[in-house]
Order: sequence, then structure tokens, then C-alpha cells
Amino acid sequence: MKRTAPAIALLLGWALALLALGWYVQKDLVVGTDLRLFLPSPTTPEQRLLLDEIGEGPASRVLVMAIDGAAAETLADSSRAFASALSESKSFRLVTNGEMSLDAVPDELLGYRFLLSPTLDSQALDSKFLHDQLQTRARDLASPAGAMLESFLPRDPTLELLKVLQNWQPMQEPHRLYDVWFDADGKRALLIAETVAPAFDPDRQRAAIDELQQTFRSVDTSGQLHLTVSGPGSFSVLMEKRTRGEAQALGTAATVGMIILLLIAYRSIGSVILSSLPLASAGVAGLLAVSLLFDAVHGITLAFGFTLIGVAQDYPLHLLSHERPGSSPLQSARSLWPTLATGVASTCIAYATFLFSGVVGLAQLACFTVASLAAAGLSTRFLLPRLIDPSGRDLGDSEFLGRLWRRIASLPRPRWAGVVLVILCVAITALVPGPMWENDLSKLTPVPHDLLMRDQELRAQLGTPDLRYMLVIEAPNDEAALTRLQSLDPQLERLKQRGAISGYDHAARYVPTADRQIARQKKLPDAATLQQSLDRALADTPFRSDVFEPFIRDVEQARKLPPLSVHALRQSPLGSGLDMLLTEHENKVTALVTFAGVNDTAALQQFASSAGPGVLLLDLKSASESLVEQQRTRLLWSLGAAALLLIGVIAISLRDRRRVLRVLAPMALTTLILIATLHGAGVPMTLFHLIALILAAGLGLDYALFFEHAAEDPHEQRRTLHAVLVCSCSTLMVFALLAASNLPVLRAIGLTVSLGVISNFLLALLLTRETGTGTPALPVAAGTPAPGSNLAEPVDTKRLSAQVPTSERHDQRPSLAATSTDQEQPPISSLVPHQGSMCLLERVIDWNDDSIRIETDTHRSPSNPLRSDQQLRAVHLCEYGAQAMAVHGALKSRSRGETAAPGMLVSLRSVSFHCDRIDDLKESLRVEATCLQAGAGSLQYSFRISHAGALLAEGRAAVVLER
Amino acid sequence: MLLPTLAPMAAQLDAADAKTLISQLAKPTPATIDFSEIRFSPLLKQPLIVSGTLGYQGSTSLDRHVTRPYRETTEIRGDSVLVRREGEPERSFGLKRAPELQGLLSAFTSLLAGDHAAVEREFTIDAAGDSSAWRILLAPRDARLSRRVKLIRIEGRNDAPRCFSIIGDNNGASVMLLGATAHAELPKPVTREWLERFCSQPNE
Repeated sequence: MKRTAPAIALLLGWALALLALGWYVQKDLVVGTDLRLFLPSPTTPEQRLLLDEIGEGPASRVLVMAIDGAAAETLADSSRAFASALSESKSFRLVTNGEMSLDAVPDELLGYRFLLSPTLDSQALDSKFLHDQLQTRARDLASPAGAMLESFLPRDPTLELLKVLQNWQPMQEPHRLYDVWFDADGKRALLIAETVAPAFDPDRQRAAIDELQQTFRSVDTSGQLHLTVSGPGSFSVLMEKRTRGEAQALGTAATVGMIILLLIAYRSIGSVILSSLPLASAGVAGLLAVSLLFDAVHGITLAFGFTLIGVAQDYPLHLLSHERPGSSPLQSARSLWPTLATGVASTCIAYATFLFSGVVGLAQLACFTVASLAAAGLSTRFLLPRLIDPSGRDLGDSEFLGRLWRRIASLPRPRWAGVVLVILCVAITALVPGPMWENDLSKLTPVPHDLLMRDQELRAQLGTPDLRYMLVIEAPNDEAALTRLQSLDPQLERLKQRGAISGYDHAARYVPTADRQIARQKKLPDAATLQQSLDRALADTPFRSDVFEPFIRDVEQARKLPPLSVHALRQSPLGSGLDMLLTEHENKVTALVTFAGVNDTAALQQFASSAGPGVLLLDLKSASESLVEQQRTRLLWSLGAAALLLIGVIAISLRDRRRVLRVLAPMALTTLILIATLHGAGVPMTLFHLIALILAAGLGLDYALFFEHAAEDPHEQRRTLHAVLVCSCSTLMVFALLAASNLPVLRAIGLTVSLGVISNFLLALLLTRETGTGTPALPVAAGTPAPGSNLAEPVDTKRLSAQVPTSERHDQRPSLAATSTDQEQPPISSLVPHQGSMCLLERVIDWNDDSIRIETDTHRSPSNPLRSDQQLRAVHLCEYGAQAMAVHGALKSRSRGETAAPGMLVSLRSVSFHCDRIDDLKESLRVEATCLQAGAGSLQYSFRISHAGALLAEGRAAVVLER
Repeated sequence: MLLPTLAPMAAQLDAADAKTLISQLAKPTPATIDFSEIRFSPLLKQPLIVSGTLGYQGSTSLDRHVTRPYRETTEIRGDSVLVRREGEPERSFGLKRAPELQGLLSAFTSLLAGDHAAVEREFTIDAAGDSSAWRILLAPRDARLSRRVKLIRIEGRNDAPRCFSIIGDNNGASVMLLGATAHAELPKPVTREWLERFCSQPNE
């Protein structure tokens, strides 16, 4: 960390800017939780209905509750108390426990009972009917149940209200004990609550469920009872809690791990702080972009976004690892920039395809990623270098890394291994049985299996509507919908009798059509006629004649009532069930027929198709699967386009076909390996696996680009190795943590990316470098001077006579322990600046003041850094000569007790070669250097290199000494 | 209230005696008792009279067979009630829906079991008289029940209850004559006052 004033000012400025932006963002930030944002946009009416159903539909808002922990009677009491305590709640539209309380019916609706009850369809209110009814009522009165009826008998002697209420009960009634719903064993009292909030709004669902728990605790005075709440709403609350808990644990673990890793890698706290700045910038930029372009950030986008920062952190790591005393951080940044930029661009392209996926959540993700990666890349390029202290250690000197590199470089890389791998992967993908893709949305749910099972069981006990099948009827208005529904009744009854369904429910069961109501109304006798009939009927009953005044009044009133509209019923507490079944849209009405217990889907389908136009059987499962498939196809196409774009970008950046292939190979192979592994392990792939594959590919591209770019300079190679090692370790750490998550989605991504990181790292190392080393003579990336480059142009072996300047600087560098030649002479590596495999000479045979003779076998070594295209060209014999000169100079200085002055090779003359390549020469090379002229600041040497007595090369070289 | 019109009884019994009294009422199961029920209601011109037999099999199991003037069977098992009447479909409902029935059931069965504690749990007991002619007044403790059932009055001689009256709200009442009393000759029309006098007679 640079301590200069401008640097500190920049640091503070940056930090403040981040804080300010961060505060601004989080002030306005709305974190949404509607999971439908991650579902694809619907294109067919079926799909549109599906999404409405999932979020807003009847079944999705129903919470099923069970109370257990005491004797049935106590449970029934508590069920009643609970239900009545909740009846006032604003969070619930409806809470029932099966109790059919006549008191619950509001007065206004009592008057409608004659129009709602089916009695008048087949029966007139004549004296015979009334007589029969009254006789029965009299007996009822004498029976033990009599006192129950007594209070409303005057108003409703024919018990129309009771009939209406019975009609409104679900067809498949759950088991009853003590007049409330119980499960078949009688161990649990069952209740249903329908929330006002849709299932996919975890916040409001949580509030509702908290209210349930609180109310229950106040009702449960003994403290022994236990309440179970189950349903989509409760699941989303549970999952949100878990996700949040996990995210926190993960975030903490990742942060701690990252800090430790950085400290190990760079051994300075400054590095930790510095690398956190581009990361923070990335986070803030991502959030800013999403909150500006979208209304709310989805929780999942946030979670994914922050894992993607695992990619962004690579950028400052690369910069830090490539630091060295020789060049300023800005220069390092500049030289890294093309590679870095290519990496950023390619990842951004891959994620930008999500913008066209048609999924809002994924578009948010793309926006977040592009903004954050761009911010990280740009801040690493332009801001971070100004803060880095240029006098840190050079990782290129690390011997450990050098050894590691050599060991990796010496690994055999047979071509056939790659081909075999490809064939193996393709074979596994094609031949292993099992679905490739996961189409079932419900498999994505992180809800534990046992909770799902319990929910299903409770719903089966209660006969709540089937979650999968429903009939959808579209009609221009309420009345038309009701008429249509009524017309379907006979067929639905038949289906029920045949056992294809256990029951059904639709709006017309609650509200008859206006026509029917009016027909019934017409049958109502006027007051005078009714009075007469009643008097006749009362004749031989024990009832007093004046008692039924209220009844006559009610009938008279009912004759004048306008038909009960759906709208009016909706307002009443009984109308809550209606909302689910009849939905009003702008210029049409959707009516649903829900089923309880579908046993024969084929019969249902037949019925639906023969029911006429406007009737659609909705299979939620198949609609959701088609949705997923469609989304996936679209995504795959856009990914294909992205891949082409990517190849184009890389081709433009690297310009050499072979290099492009080398860079793309690890990523392509890794993707194949991942797909084969997943498929071979029997894991069907989901959208999230795809996201993970893209992420892994992006990382692979980064690693490959950097390794490729490291070219031939061993120091550069080591720095790159360090950078990529740290990057991959940190990424692996983050995603390995994810892989340990409880949530299937996170686990999928974590595993896939972890495997991808390992595979990409190894393949990038192995594939980007050829066996041996690269030629220094290859043209380098556009505009980038390769650090430590030697010759600038390919050398024609036969006609080298012109001056070929080199820019090699023979700095005095601390020599680290290296391979030493076992002579009484000091090891050559201590005499010359060339280290490791770059020290080409091995044994000094003899030397004197004028000349030196050295033998060496390094020309045969496969790790000779001057090799290219699997050979060592003769032109490199110049280097042998130059090194011999340096050894001679050093030995001379040492014998005088001085240190060798650094010298620069400034010219080569009259160089002639008598062979093309030298790596196939069996015996040792003999290098002779003779000092022709030793001036004040310059030396002239001639050199000869021979092999088994035959001359290979000779020439003259001039060296200028530095002071 | 009807209490002031009652014929004065011999000394009020204290708690211990009430307990003894009730325990003496215990009947072995199964027991069959003839009954005749007179139902009064503000809706009715004249009271309804049905008669038949009561079958008692245990604390939560009671049958009421009406044989005159029509046939009807009510079976109470635990908490569910099943009503079967000739010429009509079966009906069933939960006991909780009929608090009076509940009251009847618990009072009746507790007395037949001689279970003083059970009675004490559900009702406040007010006993008077001696073993030859006694009267027990039960007032329900449960709020819901007391809304419908104001009072249960049981009068009897020795170890046999003769009248079992449920006085409900709104001027409704039901008087059950049990055992031999069930076959007593009733005037036409039978009034509540007559029944009270009849039930509280010390001899006969």
C-alpha cells in the first residue's frame, strides 16, 4: 500500500464514494421475494393461468392446520376457540374448522335463502308441503335436538337456511368429530385458513403465520397442544428463513476464508484491504444498476450476484500477483489489461444473454453481473494500481512456484488423452439413460420431502382442492360464467358418481344464476296465499297460529329482492370462497372448477374436450413443464449466440488461430466433462446448472487467457501461476461452501462450479502451454510488449549478420539456491544472472584471462526455455555464447576480488551456423569464448560452439559494461 | 321463577346427605326405564307428549326410544347423536350442538351412575327433603349451557327418580316422568303447574 499523499487521498476518496453510493442504494433498495420473477414469461393462455394460479390461485393460499396433543374433545374445543379468535383477523379471508354455525350467516343473506335453496325448484310452498314440514318440526321439537331448532323455527320452519348451508359445504367432507373436522384417526383437529397475501409473498405470509402461532398460544391455555401449519405460504417462509440463515453463515465463512487466503498468498494486510476495494465497488455498482433499472432486487439475484463476485475478485488478485519491483503497478496493469479486458468482456457477454431470456429475475442477474464485473475490472485497471506500493516482493522469484511450474510443465501431455476424454464425455452423455433436463419445477423446491408429504396427507384428509387439475372457463361476464357452470353440473355429477372425481366445486354452487333465482322467486306465494296455506297447514299441528309471522314476512321480502349477485356475496364473509372460483378481469370473467380427489384423469380430459368452447382443462404440472422447456430452449439458443460472440472476441484479441484454440480448449473440455459428470451421476440439469456451467466456463476462459498470455518469461509464468492459483483457491472455497448448502439450487451451483474450477485450472495449465516452452520469437498480443522479450523477430538461421539488438538487462539479482555444478569453481548459477533452466551452461572445463571453455548438456533438456515447436534451434547458440562470456567476466572479476559489473550485449557480428537444430545432438556441447578486446567500458568476444569435434556456430559479440 | 311455587319441603339437606342421596340413586347397567315426556314451548298451542323407553348402557351411551305417538329412536354414543324416525332420513349431529341434550345426558347419566363428583363438576347441587321424598336442583356451571338450560329439577322417592324436568330459556320446558310415574294418568290439557304439583307430592 503506497503511503504517498495522493495515494491516501485516492484511497479515502474511493472508500467514501463507495460508502455514499452504498448508503444511497440501500436506502432505496427494495428486496422482492416474488419467486415468479424467476419463472419464464408465459406465452400460452395455459401458462398464463398457471402463473396466476401459482401465485394467486385458490389452492396456493390455503394453509392447512392440525392441532394435536390432547383428547379429541379438548382438541375440538380448542379448534373452535382458535377459529373464532381468528375470525376477526385481517390476514385471513377465511378460517374454517367445519363448524356450520347458523349464527355465522349475516342477516342480509338470510332473506336470500329461498332463492339460494334448491327447494323451490321442485316444490311449491303450498299447504301440503307446509303441513309435512310442520309435522316434522313438531316431532323435532319433541326430540332431544328440539331446543336447537326452537329459536329460528318461527322464521324458517322449512329449514331452508340449513339446506343452503349444507349445499355450501364441500362435497368431500372431511371426517367430523364433535362437529368439527378431524383426521380419520381422530387424533388431530383440522382447520383451513386462507390468507389474504399470495403464496409468493414471504413477508406477508410470515406475518400471517406468526399471527396464527400467537393466536394459538393465547388459545392453548394448557400449553400441551401443538399446532402444525402447512402450505405453500408456510413453505416459502421456512425456505426464506433457511436461505437467509445459510446466506449469513456462508457469507461469514467465505469472508473469513478469503482473508486468510489472501494473507497466506500475499503476506500483507494491505493486500487484503486493497483487494477488497474493487470487490466493494463491484457490489455497489451491481446493486446500483439493478435498483436503477428495476423496481426491486430479488433476493435470489442478490445471492447469485454475490457469488459472481467470486469472479470479480480475480481481477485485483491478478494485479497483485503480477506486481514486481521492476515495473510500476500502472505498467503491470497496462500490460495485463488486454487479457483482463478479454476475460471481463467474455463473462459479460455470456451473462448478457440472460437479458434476452424472457425471465425478469435472470435479466436482473445479467444487469448485476455486467455492472459489477465492469466496475471491478475498470477499478482494477485504473484505480487500484495507484494505490499499490511498488516495492513489494516479486512473486516471479519464488522458487516454490518455479518448481511447481517445472513439474507441471514436465507432465506428459499426450494428444490422445484429450481425444479419449472427449469421446468418453460424449459417450457418457449420449449413452447413460435418464433425463438430461429437469422439467419438473417442483424438484427445484428446497422444501424437505417429509414436509411436502405431510402437507399432501393433510390436504387429502381435508379434501382441499386438487393442486394439479382444474377446469378453466372463460365467459364475458359473471352471469354467463354461472350459466355455463350450471350447464356443466349434470356431467360433473356423473363424473362424481363414476368415481372419476371425489367432488367438485364451482361458483354456481354458491350463487345460482339470476335466471334461476328469478324462477324460484316467481314460485314464492304472495303473503295472502301463504297465510292461507299456512293456516290450513297449521290446522292439525300443535303449533300456534300466530307464531310464523316472521316466516311470512321473510317470504314476502324475498319476493321483492333483486337476485343475489356474485358481487354482493363477495362482500359477505361467506363470499371469500367465491373469490377463488370466479375472477373478474377487464372484459371477461374466469371461472374455475376445482376438483377434490382426481382418480381418473382420462375421463376428466374427455369431459373437458367434449364440454365445448371456452372450457379448458388445466394441468398445472404439464403447463409448468412446458414453460420450463420453452425457457430452456430459448436460453440454449441465446447461449449458442453468446458462444459465437465469445469466440469472435477472443479471436480478435489473440489473432492467432492456434492460440485461440488453446485458450478455448480448457473451457470447452471442462464444459463437456461437467455435463458428462452430471448426466453420468444421474442428475438432470436445471436452469441453475446452466448458470453454473456458464460461470465455470467464464472462469476457465480467464485462467486460460492468463496462462496463455504468460508467454515464455519464467518470472511471468510464475506470477501468473500464483495469481491463478490464488484465484482458483478462493473461487473453489466460495463454491465449495455453496455445495455444502441444504438448498438444492445452491448445492447444484456449488458442486458444478467447484468441479469446473478444478477442471479448468488443471486443463488451463496443461493445455495452454505446449510440452516444453514457447518460442520467444512468436508475435505477441497486439500492442503488448511481452515482459522480458528477447528477440523481436524470427531469426533466419543462415544469414544472421546484421545487428540484432537485445534488450536483455543483466541486473544483479539475488541468486536463490539453484542447481549447482559440482566443481571447485563456484557454481555457474552464482556467476550469471540467468537462473534455473535459463542457466544454459553447466561445467567450466578451464579458463584463463583470455578465454573460457565450458561444457553443457542443457541443449538436450526438454525444459530448455529456448525450445519451440519441439526443438531447440541453432540460433540459440548465440545465447550459449553470450552466457559463456558472462561466466568468463564473472570469474575474472571474482579472481580480482571484485564483483562483476553488469554488461549489456549490444551486438552480434559474423555469426554463422552449421546446423539447424541442436537438441538432437547426443553429446555435450563445448562452448568457447575468447576475449578479443577489453576496453574501458566495453568488451569484444568471439565465441565458438562445437559438438563432438564438429563446429556448430561461431561469431563475435560486443558487450558494454555499466557502471 | 318456578321455585317459589314449590310446595315447601322438609329440611334442606346438607352436602354430605346430598352425596348419600345421589349415590343411592345408582342403577346397575344396563337399565331400561319407561318414560313419558311433556314438551312445553311458546310455539305450541298445547304441549307435545311422547312416551317410550330409555336405555342406559353406561356413562356415554343412552338410547331414547319413542313408541307413542310415533316411532323414533335417538342414539347417543359418546358425542354423536343419531336420530331415526320412521318415514324420514337419518340425521346425525354432534352433542356439542345441542347443549340441552348435553345437559340432560350428563345429569341423567351421572345420577344413574350415582356419581356425585361428576354431577358436582357440571352443576351446582341444591338438595332438599329426606330419603322418602327428595328434590335435587341442578344449575349448570358452563356458561354456554346455562344460556339454554336454566335449571334441571329431579324429584323422586327413595331411590327412584320420578320427574326429571329441564327448564329452558324463553319459557320452554320439558318434563320427563320416569318409571312407574310414566304411566300416570295425565289431564287434558296438562299444564306445568299440574306437573309441578304432581311431581312434588310426597306420597303415592
